[in-house]
Amino acid sequence: MEKISFHDQIVRNKRNSVFLMIFVLAFTVLIGFVIGEIYDPSIALLFIIAAAIIGIAQVSYSYYNGDKMVLKITNARPANTIDVKEKHLENVVEGLAIAAGIKAPKVYVIDSEEMNAFATGRSPENSSVAITTGLLNKLNREELEGVIAHELSHVRNYDIRFATFIAIAVGLVAILSYFFMRSMWFGGGRHDSRERGSSAGLIIIVGLILAIVAPILVRLIQMAISRQREYLADASSAQLTRYPVGLANALAKIKNVNKGNMDVPEAISHLFFVDPTKTYLDSLYATHPPIEKRIEILRKM
Amino acid sequence: MIELIIIGIIIAVAAVLVYFYNRIMVLSNRISNAWSQIDVQLKKRTDLVPNLVESVKGYMKHEKNVFEMVTKARENMMKAGTVQEKAKANNMLSNALKTIFALAENYPILKANENFLMLQEELSGIENKIAYARQFYNDSVLEFNNMVTTVPGIWFANIMSKQSKPYFEVTESERKPVKVSF
Repeated sequence: MEKISFHDQIVRNKRNSVFLMIFVLAFTVLIGFVIGEIYDPSIALLFIIAAAIIGIAQVSYSYYNGDKMVLKITNARPANTIDVKEKHLENVVEGLAIAAGIKAPKVYVIDSEEMNAFATGRSPENSSVAITTGLLNKLNREELEGVIAHELSHVRNYDIRFATFIAIAVGLVAILSYFFMRSMWFGGGRHDSRERGSSAGLIIIVGLILAIVAPILVRLIQMAISRQREYLADASSAQLTRYPVGLANALAKIKNVNKGNMDVPEAISHLFFVDPTKTYLDSLYATHPPIEKRIEILRKM
Repeated sequence: MIELIIIGIIIAVAAVLVYFYNRIMVLSNRISNAWSQIDVQLKKRTDLVPNLVESVKGYMKHEKNVFEMVTKARENMMKAGTVQEKAKANNMLSNALKTIFALAENYPILKANENFLMLQEELSGIENKIAYARQFYNDSVLEFNNMVTTVPGIWFANIMSKQSKPYFEVTESERKPVKVSF
């Protein structure tokens, strides 16, 4: 049973990633189309082609470099293997990668007192894990292994590909919507609206709705994917380390220590082991299941 | 009509054959892969042991026995060929290293030595990797053995002359805790 659902998970992640790419591409082209229609309908086709090219460039760039962008935004640096602590971290990652039967991801460290971690990349062969110094300093070996095993199960079942792509999509769609609103401001005033008739008005309204709805839509996707797969990764972590108590203890420590003030954008918060930022929107847009609930499930294993 | 049924049966039989052949091959390859993971770590550790002995020898002048133990274990490790032999030699080496690190607790100068700490981290990292590689290897062997010892897998295994494979395991007598004498 477990094998099948694990395989299904990989298939689902790959398929969802493709859907999301198509969504971002289609959104870019649509924005191009609407801007073209507003600006000058006679050359609207040019706008569509340009938008399509930009869209394809965006999608392929983020497919290959999404992980580097995420690492950069979070100020992650490669682990310093001259340092005994960070060497230890690398050893733990390599050991658990062997247990999981995957290639060991590259190891990064984020200098922060907060205790957190994330994994990113497009496949188990091209993946990275990043751990905050707070986590590294405050956890003992069993606890650290629990957290790393959790991240490696995200790597193994391609959660990282979809999750990284969502992060990029959240950012891109927000930028595109903003860009669209700006172009409406400038482009809209140039022509006398009476010349263009009601079809142009309709297009503008459709464009406006799109520009408002799309960012909310990707946020909803971001929220929906995360919770269930956190429980799943916790379970796979216990399966790898054969010691669920380690992960449960790590979560208990994190709950006591973390203030939720990490300097990361909301767009990538779902990648993290626990929610890096506590905001008033959390009840609406919670990207993580409550820590208490996770601990309770692990303790029952 | 009868031809169609015959063709259908042939296709079904062929599909079953292909499935079992591939399944057995995949599981068998996974074991080889898992084994090479263990082997890599065993080799790394065997290479590191002389460094460790070299760096602690000067401090631990009165612990001759333990160095002999480590050197002996290392030699056994290098001689071992089969899975069982390697498992046995591995345990011996693990115990010998544990003894060294336990004794090192008595030497504060050693505990403050960066070089020693790094070696210790590296060796205990390898120790854990061996444990995890063994876990992955034994899981793979279990799955393979279940396949080739139960019906219908056993029929295919016989045709392909595949037999159940040995576990990489610790026997009860070797699992007892390390005795450190002062």
